[in-house]
Amino acid sequence: MDNSKEITRVLFENFQPQAIHLFYAIGYLAIAVFIYGVYVQIRKYRRGKPDGSWTELFKRFVEMVKTMATHRTLVRRDKSAGRAHGLIFLGFVLLFIGTATITLEYDILEPLFGIKFWYGNFYLLFSLVLDLAGLGLIVGLIYMMYRRKWLHLPKLDYKRVDRQEGDPDFDRSQYRREDWAFLWSFILIGITGFILEATRLVWLNDRPAVWDYRMWSPVGALLAHIMQALGMTSESAGAFRPYLWWFHGLLSLTFIACIPYTKIKHIFTAAASLMFKDPLAGRRLPKVPDDQKTAGYKTITDLTWKNLLHLDACTKCGRCQEACPANAVGAPLSPRDVILSLREFANHALSAKELPKEAELDIHGKDVGQVFMETLWSCRTCLACVEICPVAVEHVPIIVQMRRNLVEAGEMEPLLEKTLQTIHKTGNSFGESKRKRANWTKELPFEIKDARAEPVDVLWFVGDYASFDPRNQKVTQSFAKLMHHAGVNFGLLFESELNAGNDVRRVGEEGLYELLASSNIGTLQACDFASIVTTDPHSFNTIRNEYPDFGGKFEIEHYTTLVKRLIETGQVKLKKKLDYRVTFHDPCHLGRYNKGFDAPREVIKLLGCELVEMGRNRDNSFCCGAGGGRIWIPDPVGIEKPSANRMKEAGQIEGLQVFVVSCPKDLTMFEDALKTSGFEGQFVVRELIELIDECIEYEVWEDSAVTA
Amino acid sequence: MKILVAVKQVAALDEDFEIRADEKDVDEDFLLYDLNEWDDFSLEEAMKIKEAGTTEVEVVVVSVGPDRVDESLRKCLAKGADRAIRVWDDSIEGSDAIAIGRILAAIAKKEAPDMIFAGVQSSDQAYASTGISTAAYLNWPHAAVVADLQYQPGNKSAVVRRELEGGLLQEVEINCPAVLTIQLGINKPRYASLRGIKQAAAKPIEEVTLADIGLSGSDVGVGNSMSHVRRMYIPAKGRAEMIEGTIAEQAAKLIQIMNEFKGV
Ligand code: SF4
Ligand code: SF4
Repeated sequence: MDNSKEITRVLFENFQPQAIHLFYAIGYLAIAVFIYGVYVQIRKYRRGKPDGSWTELFKRFVEMVKTMATHRTLVRRDKSAGRAHGLIFLGFVLLFIGTATITLEYDILEPLFGIKFWYGNFYLLFSLVLDLAGLGLIVGLIYMMYRRKWLHLPKLDYKRVDRQEGDPDFDRSQYRREDWAFLWSFILIGITGFILEATRLVWLNDRPAVWDYRMWSPVGALLAHIMQALGMTSESAGAFRPYLWWFHGLLSLTFIACIPYTKIKHIFTAAASLMFKDPLAGRRLPKVPDDQKTAGYKTITDLTWKNLLHLDACTKCGRCQEACPANAVGAPLSPRDVILSLREFANHALSAKELPKEAELDIHGKDVGQVFMETLWSCRTCLACVEICPVAVEHVPIIVQMRRNLVEAGEMEPLLEKTLQTIHKTGNSFGESKRKRANWTKELPFEIKDARAEPVDVLWFVGDYASFDPRNQKVTQSFAKLMHHAGVNFGLLFESELNAGNDVRRVGEEGLYELLASSNIGTLQACDFASIVTTDPHSFNTIRNEYPDFGGKFEIEHYTTLVKRLIETGQVKLKKKLDYRVTFHDPCHLGRYNKGFDAPREVIKLLGCELVEMGRNRDNSFCCGAGGGRIWIPDPVGIEKPSANRMKEAGQIEGLQVFVVSCPKDLTMFEDALKTSGFEGQFVVRELIELIDECIEYEVWEDSAVTA
Repeated sequence: MKILVAVKQVAALDEDFEIRADEKDVDEDFLLYDLNEWDDFSLEEAMKIKEAGTTEVEVVVVSVGPDRVDESLRKCLAKGADRAIRVWDDSIEGSDAIAIGRILAAIAKKEAPDMIFAGVQSSDQAYASTGISTAAYLNWPHAAVVADLQYQPGNKSAVVRRELEGGLLQEVEINCPAVLTIQLGINKPRYASLRGIKQAAAKPIEEVTLADIGLSGSDVGVGNSMSHVRRMYIPAKGRAEMIEGTIAEQAAKLIQIMNEFKGV
C-alpha cells in the first residue's frame, strides 16, 4: 500500500467547467424533486390520526437497526430471497456511504477547510470495499430477476382474489412494470459503474498511481483487462468515458429523484415501519377513545399516521398472502391486497394539496381502492400476516378497525348479528342461561370452590366453549379432575363469568367487548386469588394482553404451562406412558399470539408420545378457521374450510394416530373437519388434556390418599 | 311530521324457571328482558321513513313500564329514534292490553303524531290487541299484520299490504293518521351496536305519569281491566313413547300397551 496523495480517483478530470456546472444543476434538481416527494409523503402521513408510538425512540431505533442489519425478518421462510436482498441492501448502503464520503471531501471539507482524506491507503481500502459491494449488489439483483422471471412463485403473482377481471382495479400489471423498471435501472447503475471504473483504468493505464493499484478494485481491473484484450486503447477509453459517465450519473440521479414516488421509497418507509412496530400488534387491539363518536375506520383519514406509514412500507413480497388461511381456501381476502388497496386509496386521496370531500374518503365499498365487506369478514384474525411481514406491516388492527365501522353500520352476517345480541343478553355465545355455565361440574365426584366466596390460589377462567359445548365439557371435567388430584387450590367464577370477549373484540363489536371485559374485570377484582389459569387460548389472550388496558392486571397462564410444571414437580404423577405417534396443532392464540409453542410440546414428550411436526408448525401454524368471530359465521359452501385444509396436511404424516390440540375451538373445528376429510378411522383429534388423562389413574390415587 | 312507535319490553324465560307464589306469573328472577321482536321491525319501518328524507320526520318511541324498560328504550334511541317516553305508575301493574291501549291513546293525544306503529303482538303475552285498542280509543283507522307499507310523509293516506292466512296478501288503502301493527319480516332491522346504546344514554327518556296525560289510577290496573290473569301454570305433560322394531314387534308392543291401558 502507499499513502501518497496521488492515489485517488479522478472525479471531473477533462470536464469542461460548463459540464460540471450542468451536472451540479441536475444534481440539485434531483435533490429538489426528492425533497418535494418526501414532503408530499410526510404531508400524507400527517393527515392521519395521532398515534402514541413516539415512545422509547432509542430502543425502537436499536431494534430497527438490528432487524435491518441481520435481515432476520427477510430470511424467514425464504432464505434465498432474504440473502439476495441482504446483498443488495449491503451493497446499496456501502455504495451510498461511499458516495457520501466523496461528497463530504470534495464538496464540503476540501473547499471549506482544505481537508483531504480520500487518498492513499484509505482510498485503496475504500475502492476494494465498494467494488465488492457493487458486486454483491449485482449478484443480488440478478437473483431477484431470476426469481421473478423463472421461479413463478404464487406469492409474487399480483392476481387479485377480491376483484373480478374487468373491474377497474383488477389489473396490477403496473406493479409488475414498476418491479422490472426498478430491477433494471438498479442493475444498470451497478453495471455501468463497473464499466466506468474499467474504462477509467484503461484510459489512465499509463499512470502508475492508477494502474499499479488497479487490483484494489478487482472487478474493475478484470473488466479493464477484458476491454484491453478486446482492443480498447487508452484514447478510445478516454473518448468513450464521458458518455458512459453521463449515462451512469443521470441514471443515478433519476433513481434518487424517484425514491419518494416509487417502490424505492421502501428504503425509508420499511425502516420507519420497523421502527414503529408494535410488538403487541393484533394481540392487543386499540381502544376507542371515550369521546370518539364513531368506532372504527370509515374514511382514509381515520387511519393513524402509523397505519398510513405501514401501507407505504409494504414491498408486495406476498409473504402475508402466502400465510393467510383465508386466502389459502379461496376466500376473497389477501392481506397484501387490503394493504395495497388502501395504499392506492391514500395516495390518490391524500397526496393533493387540498383534502377531498369527506364522502370521497370512504374506504368501504366496491369502488377503486375501497375494501369489500366480504373481504373484511373473511379474516380470521389469526395474525399469520402480521407475524410474517418482513417490514412490520400490521394488517389485523386495520382490518378490525374497519370491521368496527361495519358493525356500527350493521353490515354483517345475520347469524353473527344474532350471536352478538345473544352474547349481550346472556353473556355467552351459546345463548344458554347464565345459571347453566357451571353445569358441567355437577357430574364431578367433588365440589369445586366458588372463588367469589373464598380465597383460592388459582382461579380457573373456563370460557364459553369449554363450559357449554358438550364435547368440550368432557375435557373440562378431565382438567378439573387433574387439578383436584394434583392438590391445586382452585376455584371458578360460576355464573358470574362472562364470555371473555376476545373474539367479540376481533369481530369489531367494541362496545360489547368493553361491557364484557369490564364486567369480568370487576368480578375478578372482587375475588382473592394468586393467578388465573384457562384452557382457552382466546380468553388467555384477551385477559393477558387486553384487560390491562381496562384496568385489569392479572397473572394468567395457559393450562399447558401449569400442567407441565405439575408433572415436573411430581404433583401430577404419570402412571403410564403413551406410545402414540402424534402431531400438534398450535392454536393461533396460544402460539403466534403468545409464543406458547414449547409447553404443549414438552408435555406431549413427557407423556411418551412421538411428536411429528406438520409442515406448518409453531409460528407458521395454520389457523383452524374459527378465529376473529368466524366460528359464528357459516363458511361459504363449495370452498374448502381451513380446518379441512389442515386435516389434509396432517394426513400426510405416515402412521399418525392422534392430532393433538390444546384449544376448545380447535377440538370442535377439527373433529368436524376430520369427519369429511377421508382420514376418519386413521387418526383421531384429541385435546392434550385427554392424553394426560389417559396417563393418570385417579382411583388408585384416591384410594391411597384415603389410606395414607 | 311525527311517527309514534309503541314498544314493549318483553320477558323471556330462563332455564328451569319457577312460578311466582301467587301463581299469576313467572318469578321475576327467572325472566330475561328484551325489546319485543316485532317492535324492532316497527321501529325500523319508522326509521326508513325518517331516513328517506323528503320531509323532517320525528320518531318518538313510547313504552308503558317500570324503570327497567329504559334499557329497551335506549336501544331504540341507539337505533336512531329522536325521543323516548316512558309512562309508569305503580297502579298500572296488572293492566290488560285494552287498558294499555287507553294509556297509549292518551299519549297520542298529547303528541299528535301523523302515524302510530306498533308490533302485531308481544312475544310474551301475545294478545295482539294493544295497537288495535289504541286505535279504538283514538277513533282512528287501523290495519293489523302489515307486511308492506307505502307511505309518503304528509300524505292523506297510505297503502299497506296485510298478511292473511294461507299466504294471501290484502292490499288496503288507509286514511291517515292511522295505527298500523307491523309484522315480522317487513324490513331488516338494524343492529344497535353497544357503543350506540351507551351513547344513547345521553339522550333523555321522558318519564310521564298518569296525571300528565289526564288519566288516573281509576283508568288502569287490574281493577279497571276487562280481563285479568287468574293463574299461570305448566300443564302436566302428556305421555308419548316411540315404538321401535319390526312391524310385527311394533304391533305386539302396541297390543301390550293397549292391554295395560285397559287394565287387562
Ligand atoms: S389475520 Fe389471518 S386471516 Fe386475517 S388477513 Fe391475516 S393471515 Fe389472513
Ligand atoms: S404486507 Fe408485508 S408481508 Fe404482505 S406483501 Fe406487504 S411487505 Fe409483504
